[in-house]
Amino acid sequence: MNFGKLDILLVEDNQDDMDLALHALKQGKLANNIVVARDGEEALDFLFCRGAFAHRSFDHPPKLVLLDLKLPKVDGMEVLKQVKSDPRTRTIPIVIMTSSKEERDLVAGYNLGANSYIQKPVDFDQFRETVKSIGLYWLVINQPAPTSLVHKMAEAELISG
Amino acid sequence: MTLLIALAILHITIRGKAGIMEISKQFDAPIETKLRSRVTGGFIVAVLLTVFIGFSSWRSVQLAADHADWVAHTYSVMDALQLTARHAIEVESSARTFAWTGQDALLTQYETARGSVSQDENALRHLTADNPDQQRRLDALEPQLRAVLQSAARIIAKGRQMPAGPGAGELLETEKLMDSVRTTIQEMHAEEMQLLSQRTQRTKTGRRWTTFIVVIGIFVGTGLLMLAGLGVNREIDVSARARAHIRTLNAELEQRVEQRTAALQSEITVRNQAQAALQETQEGFRVLVDGVKEYAIYMLDPEGRVISWNAGAARIKGYRSEEILGKDFSRFYKAEDLEAGKPARELKESLSKGRFEDEGWRVRKDGSAFWANVVITPMYDDRGNHRGFSKIARDISERKRAEETLAGQAEELARQAAELARSRQALEAKSLMLQSVLDSMAEGLAAADEQGKFLIWNRAAENIMGYGPADLATKEWSEHYGTYLPDGITPFPTEQLPLVRAIHGEVSSSEIFVRNPKITGGAWIEVRGGPLKDKEGVIRGGVVAFRDITQRKADEREIQKLNDELEHRVVERTAQLETANKELEAFSYSVSHDLRAPLRHIGGFSKLLMEEFGPSLNPEAQRHVERIQAGTQKMGLLIDELLNLARVGRHALNLQPTGLNSIVAEVIAILQPESEGRQVKWDISELPAVECDPILIKQVFQNLLANALKFTRPCFGADGSARVSMPAGTSHAVIEVSHKEEDGQPVFMVRDNGVGFSMKYVDKLFGVFQRLHSTDEFEGTGIGLVTVQRIVHKHGGRVWAEGEPDKGATFYFTLGVGKQAESKSNAATAGGQS
Repeated sequence: MNFGKLDILLVEDNQDDMDLALHALKQGKLANNIVVARDGEEALDFLFCRGAFAHRSFDHPPKLVLLDLKLPKVDGMEVLKQVKSDPRTRTIPIVIMTSSKEERDLVAGYNLGANSYIQKPVDFDQFRETVKSIGLYWLVINQPAPTSLVHKMAEAELISG
Repeated sequence: MTLLIALAILHITIRGKAGIMEISKQFDAPIETKLRSRVTGGFIVAVLLTVFIGFSSWRSVQLAADHADWVAHTYSVMDALQLTARHAIEVESSARTFAWTGQDALLTQYETARGSVSQDENALRHLTADNPDQQRRLDALEPQLRAVLQSAARIIAKGRQMPAGPGAGELLETEKLMDSVRTTIQEMHAEEMQLLSQRTQRTKTGRRWTTFIVVIGIFVGTGLLMLAGLGVNREIDVSARARAHIRTLNAELEQRVEQRTAALQSEITVRNQAQAALQETQEGFRVLVDGVKEYAIYMLDPEGRVISWNAGAARIKGYRSEEILGKDFSRFYKAEDLEAGKPARELKESLSKGRFEDEGWRVRKDGSAFWANVVITPMYDDRGNHRGFSKIARDISERKRAEETLAGQAEELARQAAELARSRQALEAKSLMLQSVLDSMAEGLAAADEQGKFLIWNRAAENIMGYGPADLATKEWSEHYGTYLPDGITPFPTEQLPLVRAIHGEVSSSEIFVRNPKITGGAWIEVRGGPLKDKEGVIRGGVVAFRDITQRKADEREIQKLNDELEHRVVERTAQLETANKELEAFSYSVSHDLRAPLRHIGGFSKLLMEEFGPSLNPEAQRHVERIQAGTQKMGLLIDELLNLARVGRHALNLQPTGLNSIVAEVIAILQPESEGRQVKWDISELPAVECDPILIKQVFQNLLANALKFTRPCFGADGSARVSMPAGTSHAVIEVSHKEEDGQPVFMVRDNGVGFSMKYVDKLFGVFQRLHSTDEFEGTGIGLVTVQRIVHKHGGRVWAEGEPDKGATFYFTLGVGKQAESKSNAATAGGQS
C-alpha cells in the first residue's frame, strides 16, 4: 500500500460498521486511500510510525482520522488524547464517529482536541450523507498544515521540552 | 534750714506745674483753689523768711553795739580802779613825805588826793552796780581805803606836832593797809579783766553771726528771686500751652457741635420715619383689632359714648359700627343693671383701680342676653389727661353652660363611684374564680415580685415541683427545688432560671431536670417565663408556666432512636439507590451505544440490499425489506426517546429566571419543517418569566407543541381519503399558548383544535408507551408526554389534560413556585445526606 497518498485512517473494531463506513465512503468516491485500524493500539502504532508501522514517516500523516470510541485494547479517547498531546501528530484532524450521543463523551472528546464529533445515524441514508460530507470537507475543502514545517517545529519543541 | 525752705518752694512749684497740667487736662475749680492756696502759702513763707532774716540782722547789730558798750564799760571800771589805787597811793605817799619834810605844799596835794579817793569810791560803786561780786568786793575795799586815809591823817597830825618823820611802826602799819587795798583792787581788776575778755569774745561771736546772717540773707534772697523767675517763666509756658490746648479744644468742640447737629438732624429724620412707622403700626394694630372676631374690642369717650367698634364687637353685640358710634354704652346692660347704675359704677371703678373686670349678663341688639367677660381699662394721653376707656368683652356663654354642666358631672361621678364599688366586689369574685382556675390548671404557674417573693404558686406547680412556694432568696431556689441542667448532674445556674430571668425582664424558656426528695425518679419540666409589667411598662416581677414533660422526654428519646435507625436505613438505601443509578447510567450508555449499533447495521445492510439487489427481488421481498427498515427506524426513535427520558431523570435542575416566550419562539422555529405546507395559526400570549430549568422546559414545550402540531394535521387513510376530518368550520390548525393565575401560581396552557381525545382515556395519556391513536393515524412512541410529566414533576409542578374527541385538547402544567421546587430539592438533599 502506498502510504504516501494516504487520505483516511478509519479506526473501527466492528466489522459491520467498518463495512458500512467503507461502503458509504466508496459511494462518495472517497475510498481510494483508506487504512483501517481494528483497535486503539494499532491506530496509535500507525499514527506514531512504530511497531508494525515503523517504516512509516511522520511526513505523510493521514488527512483525516475517523475514530470510534468503543475500541478493544486502547479505547478511542486514549487514542485521541495521545495524538492530540504529541506535537508531531496533533495537527492531524480527528473526527469522532460513534454510536454514543452521551453529553459527557461529547465534552470529553472536544476537551481532548477532537476536531469534530458525529453520531452515527441509525438511518443509512443519513449515515451515508454524513460520511460523504465529512470526507468532502476534510479531504477536499480543508487545507491541511504543511507537514515539513509541523515536523520541524515539533522537533524544536521536543528538544526544548 | 534755708535749703529745706528752698526745697519746699521748689516742691510747691512742681506741684503747681503738675496742677496746671491737670488743669490743662480738665478745668477743675477745686484744683485751682488748692493751687492758689499753695502759691499763697509759698509767698507767706518767703515773706516770713525775709522778715526773719532782716530781724536777725538788726538783732545782731543791736547785740554787737551792746557788746561794745559793755566792753567800754569794763574799760571805765578798770580805769576807775587804777585811779582809785593811784589816788590812795598819793594820799599815803604825800602824807608820809609831809611828815618827813614838813612842806606845806605837800599838804595841799594830800588834801586833793584825799578828795579824789572818795570821788573814786563813788564812781566805782556806780559803775559796778550791775555786778554783785564787784559790789561785795567794793564793800570790802571801802573800809580798807578809810583805814588808809585815817592812817595818813594821823601821820600828818604827828608831822605837824613834831617835824621828825614818822616812826617805823607807823610806816609798817600804813604799808600793810596799802597792801590790802592793792590786793582788793587787783582782785577787782582781775574780775574786770575776765569780764572784758568774755565780753570781747561775745562781741566777736555776735559779729560773726551777723555776718553769717547777712550772707545767708543775700543767698536766700537771690535764690528766692531765681525761683520766682523760674516759676514765672514756667507759668508763662504753661499758660501758653493751656491756651493752645484751649484753642484745640475749641476746635474740637466746634467740630462736635457740627457732628452733633448732623446727628440730631439724622435723628430727627429717623424719628420722623419712626413716627411714620408708628402710625403705620397703629394703623396695623387698628386693622388687627378690627379683625378680631372672638373679642369685642371698642373704646368709649370719658362720658361712656362708643368711639370705636371692631368686627368682634359687631359679631358679639349685633350692632354695626355706624349704628353704635356715638351712642352710650349703657344700652349693652340689662334693665335691672341700668337701674342699679352699674355702667357708671364700672367706669368709676376702672378709673379708681386702673382696671375693671367683671363677668355678667349683657344684652345684644336683638335683646338676647349673653354671659360676658368684660375688662374696662381707662386710657390716658401722653400728658396724663383722661381720654376715655377701652373695653374688651368676650362671649363666654359656652363656658357658663359648661360650668353648669360640671355640677351635673359631679353627680355622675358619685354614681360612678358607687358603680366602682360594685365592680370591686365583682373583681373580688373574679379573683376568687381566677384562683380556682389557677388551681385547676394542669400547667404549673408561678409568679414572683421583683424581690423574688412568690405571688402565685398554683396547685399544679406544687404537684410538679414537689414543694410549695419557698420563702427564700432567689439564689437559693435552684438548690431548694433541686433543678439541674439537661445532663441531670450540674445544678441549674440560679441566674439562668426562667423565673429569675423573667424578674430581670427577659423572656426565656428552658428544659430543666428536677430531682428532690419529694419527686420519685425526678422529672423533666419545660418552663417558659416572661416579665410582669405594669401599665407603664415597668417590670414588677416575673411569671413562669411549666409542665411535666417527663413522658415527652421519654417519647423523644424513643423518636430519636427510631430516627437514628431510619437515618441509618436512609444512608443504606441511598447507597443502594446510587448503585442502581450508576447501573442505570451504564445501562443507558450501553443502550445508546451497543443497542443502536446492531440496529444501524440492520438498517444499513437492508438499505444496501434494496439498493444493490432491489431489482432482482420480487415485490414481496422488497416489501419485507422495507418493513425491516421501518422497524429499524422506529426502534432508533424509541431508543433515543427512552434515553432522553432517562437523561431527564438524571439531569440536575439548573433553576434560573427564564422568559418563557423566548423558549416558545425557539421551539416553534425548530418545528417549522413539520408545519411546512400547512396553515397553522400560532396564538402565543404574553407569558411570565419563571424560575425553571430552561433546557428541560424547552423539552416540555417541544413535546407539547409537537403533539399539538401533529394532532391538528389532517390525516389520511391508506386509501387516501380523510379518515379524521378537521372540526367543522376550521380549515386550519390553531395552537394557543397562554397562562392563567390559579392559587397564586401560573398555570400554563397549550391548546389545539385538533382531534382531541376522550376523557375516558385521560389516565392513559401520561403512561410510558401508552397511545390513544394508532401509529397509522399518528406516528409516535408514547414517551413524549411521560417526559413532559417527569420534567414538570421535577420542577415541583403538576400536568394534566382536558380534551374531547374532534374538539381539540388542552394540556395544562404548573412549575410550582421556584422556592417550592427549591425547598423540595433541598429536602431531598437533606434526606440524602442524613
